[in-house]
Amino acid sequence: MEPDRLAQILAELSSGGAESSARLCQAARDAVGMSGAGVMLMSGDLPAGSLCTSGEVSNLIEELQFTLGEGPCVDAHQKGRVVSEPDLADPQEPRWLAFTARAVPEGVRAIFGFPVTVGAARIGALNLYRDSPGPLSDAQHADALVMAQVIATWVLDVQGAAAPGMLADAIDHGGDFYFLVHNAAGAVSVQLDVSVTEALIRLRAYAFANNRSLLEVAQDVVARKLRF
Amino acid sequence: MAEVELSRESDIVRSLVELADVLTNDYDVVDLLTRVSDRCVSLLGISAAGVMLADPNGDLRLIASSSEAMRIVELFELQAKEGPCLDAFRTGERVAHENLHAGTGRWPRFATVALEAGFQAAFALPLRIRDTTIGALNLFSDGQVPMAEADVLVARAFADLATMTVLQQRAGSETQRINEQLTQALTSRIIIEQAKGVIFERAGIDMAESFARLRAYSRHHNTRLTDVARATIDGSIDPHAWTAAPATDRPTPTGPDHRNSPPSS
Repeated sequence: MEPDRLAQILAELSSGGAESSARLCQAARDAVGMSGAGVMLMSGDLPAGSLCTSGEVSNLIEELQFTLGEGPCVDAHQKGRVVSEPDLADPQEPRWLAFTARAVPEGVRAIFGFPVTVGAARIGALNLYRDSPGPLSDAQHADALVMAQVIATWVLDVQGAAAPGMLADAIDHGGDFYFLVHNAAGAVSVQLDVSVTEALIRLRAYAFANNRSLLEVAQDVVARKLRF
Repeated sequence: MAEVELSRESDIVRSLVELADVLTNDYDVVDLLTRVSDRCVSLLGISAAGVMLADPNGDLRLIASSSEAMRIVELFELQAKEGPCLDAFRTGERVAHENLHAGTGRWPRFATVALEAGFQAAFALPLRIRDTTIGALNLFSDGQVPMAEADVLVARAFADLATMTVLQQRAGSETQRINEQLTQALTSRIIIEQAKGVIFERAGIDMAESFARLRAYSRHHNTRLTDVARATIDGSIDPHAWTAAPATDRPTPTGPDHRNSPPSS
């Protein structure tokens, strides 16, 4: 991308203030010239939820990673480096088997994960996907690194201004932390008389075995349509 | 045992590289600044070195000293509010070599104490990056011969390294603090959502009502919402608390009594 174009995107982001994270992912998609972008926030080594997505498919990419605990964001975060899969339908190294099986039919043909970090603070990862296979150009790679940095700075700026112990409004409202899944885990822990951690594993296993999304299963539990 | 005679230049370079290398790993600022002080002594032909940093109020504090004698003199300098380190910090400029004479000169009281401790001359460099001065590096000597200009340059390099060290550490710890706060806030939200699910199931009520009960319990027991939520999940709050007569979110007539201490102990 032209330096002027990048400067323009950054200026637009800063003029928009910090009211919502939604525009961050659209900006990342446009800056790098991809089909879609999403940002996963991580808690320890596990996905905590999505800071933003640029559209439906990116939404699914985030949700799958949250549900399955695998994917480019998870790897980029855990390994602390850029993760590239230029041809998800015919990968060089088979990985993320469950993720790939669900993502490819939705048109995810190439996918990349960039760590979102500032110094030693590991915040999460940015994923960028394209509906056609192929690697990132050097310029795209460089632009993605800039966007990951912009996102990291945005998160720290916004959260730094939040009241102690509280999630910043812009992150809380703009993001999706799959709270419904945690509601369902609480309910299932009572139904099965197990810990919530165990209940979450049972929910994931059920979703996987029945080829359903974890969110749908959680919805059924909270609607009292499904009991464990 | 054969000793390899290393040139002084390579000693200096090696020290700088060694200190810079520490920067890339986890490090403790006090420990690193103490090392900087020690290297200044071993490489610059001076008797003692120390580093002072400004606290958030802009007052200097002693952080590192190469010797106990140095530490005492520097503490006196801070107390008396006069001396080379303070001047370097205030002006942001280097304080050139100055031979000390008791009771006279720029710092009469400081000079008296420094001479008693065996120091004859003083020199100081600001820890400065562009327009911001964050502290100063003090160099004391027990002789009166000024430092060679080449040594001053080396001292400058150590001062710059010390400045970067401190600034990098400050930026890093702030970033870490916010990121930990983010993780904590997220975890806290998740625990509350899980607790809502537990109450939803136990009491057979919807999520909104579950949250209202959770919050009412938190208020009536004067306990943080996150703590109530955690105790709900791990069962340390009696599960019957959620199925019994629903607590309201409004203060009850007996409400305030809950905040009083028990009558006897």
